[in-house]
Amino acid sequence: MQLKIGNFYVKDIVFGEKLSFADGVLTINKEEAIAFILEDEHITECDIVIARPGEKKRIVPVKEAVEARVRLDGESLFPGVTGDLRMCGSGTIHALKNMSILGVGKHWGSFGDGLVDMWGEGQKYTLFGSLINLCLVIDTDEEFEQREQQKKNRAIRWAVHRFAEYVGKVVAELEPEDSETYELPPVTKRSEEVNKLPSVVLVMQPQSQMEEMGYNDLLYGWDLNHFVPTFMHPNEVLDGGIISGSFMPSSSKWSTYDFQNFPTIKSLYREHGKSLNFLGIIMSNLNVSLEQKQRSAIFVAQIAKSLGADGAIVTEEGYGNPDADYILCLVALEDVGVKTVGISNECTGRDGASQPLVTLDVKANALVSTGNVSEMIELEPADEVIGELQALARDGLSGGWPDDDELGPSVREDGSIIMENNAMFCGDMIAGWSTKTMKEF
Amino acid sequence: MKKVIHYINQFFAGIGGEDKADHQPEIREGSVGPGMALNEALKDAKVTHTVVCGDNTMGTDTEKATATILEFLKDKEFDIFIAGPAFQAGRYGVACGTICKAVKEEFGVPVLTSMHEENPGVEMFKSEMPIFIGGPSATSMRKNVADIAAYANKLLAGEDTGPADEEGYFPRGIRHQVWLKEPVTAADRGVDMLIKKLKGEPFETELPISARDMIPIAPPIKDLSKAKIALVTSGGIVPVDNPDRIQSASATRWGRYRIDHMDRLKSGEFKTIHAGFDPAAADADPNVILPLDVMQEFVKEGKIGSLHPYFYSTVGTGTTQREAARMGREIYEHLKEDQVDGVLLVST
Repeated sequence: MQLKIGNFYVKDIVFGEKLSFADGVLTINKEEAIAFILEDEHITECDIVIARPGEKKRIVPVKEAVEARVRLDGESLFPGVTGDLRMCGSGTIHALKNMSILGVGKHWGSFGDGLVDMWGEGQKYTLFGSLINLCLVIDTDEEFEQREQQKKNRAIRWAVHRFAEYVGKVVAELEPEDSETYELPPVTKRSEEVNKLPSVVLVMQPQSQMEEMGYNDLLYGWDLNHFVPTFMHPNEVLDGGIISGSFMPSSSKWSTYDFQNFPTIKSLYREHGKSLNFLGIIMSNLNVSLEQKQRSAIFVAQIAKSLGADGAIVTEEGYGNPDADYILCLVALEDVGVKTVGISNECTGRDGASQPLVTLDVKANALVSTGNVSEMIELEPADEVIGELQALARDGLSGGWPDDDELGPSVREDGSIIMENNAMFCGDMIAGWSTKTMKEF
Repeated sequence: MKKVIHYINQFFAGIGGEDKADHQPEIREGSVGPGMALNEALKDAKVTHTVVCGDNTMGTDTEKATATILEFLKDKEFDIFIAGPAFQAGRYGVACGTICKAVKEEFGVPVLTSMHEENPGVEMFKSEMPIFIGGPSATSMRKNVADIAAYANKLLAGEDTGPADEEGYFPRGIRHQVWLKEPVTAADRGVDMLIKKLKGEPFETELPISARDMIPIAPPIKDLSKAKIALVTSGGIVPVDNPDRIQSASATRWGRYRIDHMDRLKSGEFKTIHAGFDPAAADADPNVILPLDVMQEFVKEGKIGSLHPYFYSTVGTGTTQREAARMGREIYEHLKEDQVDGVLLVST
């Protein structure tokens, strides 16, 4: 299976007459673009705002991020979501780099939504602080969930996915600046040199803990709550086979942008044929009841063992309760003789003194830590807020609060904020971007 | 110029060895013994006073000696308190830890000390303060003093301090996120760690998990019909006026409430203050969270011996494990005193 991604590096985004891309500048016809988004009858209002790194702009509540792309065969980017089902992972894609499309609530936030700062101290807390963001600021008619802490955010999320296709088409006919090729032959058809190397799988645990449909990550449009682990080609993930959901506290989330560019997949590809034989991905999930957690761990361990994996990297989209799935999976693999490394964030509390994961096991002896969800962050006011700042305090975002005996409200009258890292949009970069770690003090 | 008060024992004050170990606490102006090296290493600060106390006095008459020293410090202005270095000297190490902890609690100033890893003071006090990793004997005096002073200089200048391994003190069990100085992504760190593990080469986990973190499950109660059982909940059930002002999330307080005179908790008398779930059902019938009704029936049926006359309550949502552990220990003292055999711990 071979996937070729041609890259177009965006230096700036501007509004203009015609949707076009030239000399690194992406031009958007705002009216046409808004009309396209409003084709969804559930979207009642839409604005498009550009946020560039260095501008004193704060974006909140951010619900989803997607990279704009086009498939040269004309197929949809997200089968089962924006188009018919097709097998992902091969063919040629053109992608607009250095930018993302963000889905932002015009008013209402929810538990899993996050914040992005484009300048200063707050910029480093998210990957998106250093990308040029096309923010779709949207209100919807989904009144049933307007006052709910948990929101499906369906209309906004789908708008972002559709808009990624709308923008991506602009580079369909153009020549990319450079390109990357991702190719893995079938597991049993690899050269002797590659077969001699230690075999490795990546175990992904995307978020799927909501029992009600509509909140979880979708695999080919399928809710991962109703799922047992399976073997996948890494290219399926890079090519839109999976999209993000709307549930997990934001800093622990994998956005669709993360799936499309999953750094841990790319690092394993880089070592493939050199120091390891990258067999592929065991796609697992995260569950609520112990029996469900155990069942998934059994499937993962069995598939890894049957494939002849010597090693595995396990990574979870979440913290807290999902730590149980994470540790269980690491232990199940170690128990069948597969050596493991885990990649996850920690929750050590605001004072840093709490147990880092909900469950611990000495067999999990090789862990990479990407951040602390409960780290306290205080940031100065922005010149411009994209979305609605009060959402952070009012709407139950995981890292914000309406009021507190000692700390006061998350959003202060002057527009400065105090929050937990929890509400930084995909802030712990568990997909593998994170250059944070955890240290003892 | 910032002010430092320094604590040393009778030996380093030049008073004498074992025969003078019951030397009573005293305070002198200026620096004494190791305090001179400390003074040299401090940038914009000096040792204004030195407290001297015999190791035996501190070890056997701890409360009185501590109170005397705190009294000495009451009218003194100081920005930081430093004890030792204590090297491998066990009683001296414990004395340094004891007095540092007391000074931190009484005056709220930073406290620092230094000990060798085998000093029993390390295990006893390392979670309370930075204890710098010192040498076994006074031959490493200059280096150990310099390490403390380097950290003190940063604190006094209001500069950021680094993690324990960079600064050179024993980790305190406090973990915070930091950006790596050489930015290597988590993806590359993970793949690199796996390659090392597969090759059998040494690797370093970023989250060490030791066997000591595991808490074994208690053995079962042999005969429930003779056992005294207590009810403890993190579900936030309290009398309606919440007399102990327990917080609805990230709780630091708990309460205990008498229940031996009632068969069940009545709606209107008890409610939940827990912010992590819909309270409607629990407010309508608090027994769904704290099953007093069922427990009293079990007592009547002889299924359990008796019920502890109080229930204990706090809120679990957002509450850190450290606070939960502290509250658990405090509640445990009451249960132990009343010889409770088993606890029904009701979470939500």
